[in-house]
Amino acid sequence: MSDDIDERLAAWLDGALSPEEVAAFERELETNPELARRAAEWQANDAFLKGALAPLAETQIDRDLLKRMGLAEPTPAQMAANDNQPFWRRHALPLGGAVAASLAALLLLAVPQRGAEPDALSLALDTTPSLTATRLADGRTIEPTLTVRAADGRWCREFRDGAKTALACRGDKGWTIEGEAAATGPSATDEIGLAAGGDGAALDAAYRRIGASDPVGQQEETALIKQGWSRR
Amino acid sequence: MRQAGRYGGECMAAGKAAGQTFKDAVIAALPRLRRFCQGLAGNAQDGDDLMQSTVERALARAHQFVPGTRLDSWMFRIAQNLHIDGARAAQRRGHQVPVDELPETMGEDGRVTLEGRSDLAAAQRALQAIPDDQRAAFLLVVVEGLSYREAAEVLEVPVGTIMSRLARARGRIEQVVGRGPGAVQ
Repeated sequence: MSDDIDERLAAWLDGALSPEEVAAFERELETNPELARRAAEWQANDAFLKGALAPLAETQIDRDLLKRMGLAEPTPAQMAANDNQPFWRRHALPLGGAVAASLAALLLLAVPQRGAEPDALSLALDTTPSLTATRLADGRTIEPTLTVRAADGRWCREFRDGAKTALACRGDKGWTIEGEAAATGPSATDEIGLAAGGDGAALDAAYRRIGASDPVGQQEETALIKQGWSRR
Repeated sequence: MRQAGRYGGECMAAGKAAGQTFKDAVIAALPRLRRFCQGLAGNAQDGDDLMQSTVERALARAHQFVPGTRLDSWMFRIAQNLHIDGARAAQRRGHQVPVDELPETMGEDGRVTLEGRSDLAAAQRALQAIPDDQRAAFLLVVVEGLSYREAAEVLEVPVGTIMSRLARARGRIEQVVGRGPGAVQ
């Protein structure tokens, strides 16, 4: 069949012919069985392909793909900003899965020889990201769990120290313990666990006393560690 | 924000609002863009990669979009250009799947055979059997419903070229899935 007839057939199927051209072409269809057969064949193929591809435009585009394309704002980090309860009452760690997924990297800190226990602890709290276990020179392993800011501007960190959980705040001479409680929550860092350990009341008092803010996010905590906790 | 430049002199909030409006329009066009991209690329993964590249380029060049024209057509053009660039880079441009390499698509009635498999997979195989330029014209007109003139603008070719590409595409598809004198035996 000639290219001209094929092109007119295509245009007829696509509604691209003028009324006069349509009338002329349809007269030709009536007198040309092969053309009529081909028209039916092409029409059926069109319908088949169009129908097969139709579902592609009906599937929902997931949020992750939208984010990758820059079309969706990232979901805000789920911080303990809800005012129903103070964050330390909630049974969830604030830094999210990204941090929770990292973990249990045991770092042997090089503590200065003059360093008594407070120095080793201060160094660990100065340099260890939350949800990362750190072994001190004396053999203890501590694990910071979150960072907050006290009303007086000090940075404070809750950390797990063996069987207890403590809250310490950083002053000019290092970190000072503000409160301690027995720890009964999960010690492993590969799950979202109990933030303040089992004896929440004891730490509650400490948090209230210092006027703690909500915990900072991972990014801010990383910046604080990098800057030596100098940011006010 | 680039879009703010179009509204020079307006405040940043207006620029942001315009940018968001543009993004909303892009999102609204995504379902058809996704179908077009998958039709061009031949599979879901490559199609979504192409869609993502298309959207990224559209957002980066939002200032080039002419208000009052069809955003979907503009994005189809970007997708087609990216697809061609990719094909050139892979030295695959003009590559066709020889009909004789598609034995499972043929038979007494190839379409029935194809329908017995996955319709979508069968459609993709048929589309991949035609050259890129014909496939794009077919997708734009038959699947996306663009007029010949609109398709010609997207592909930046004369209307007559669209007509001939569609005729050749259908002839090729008939060979792959159809029966009768055109069918490959």
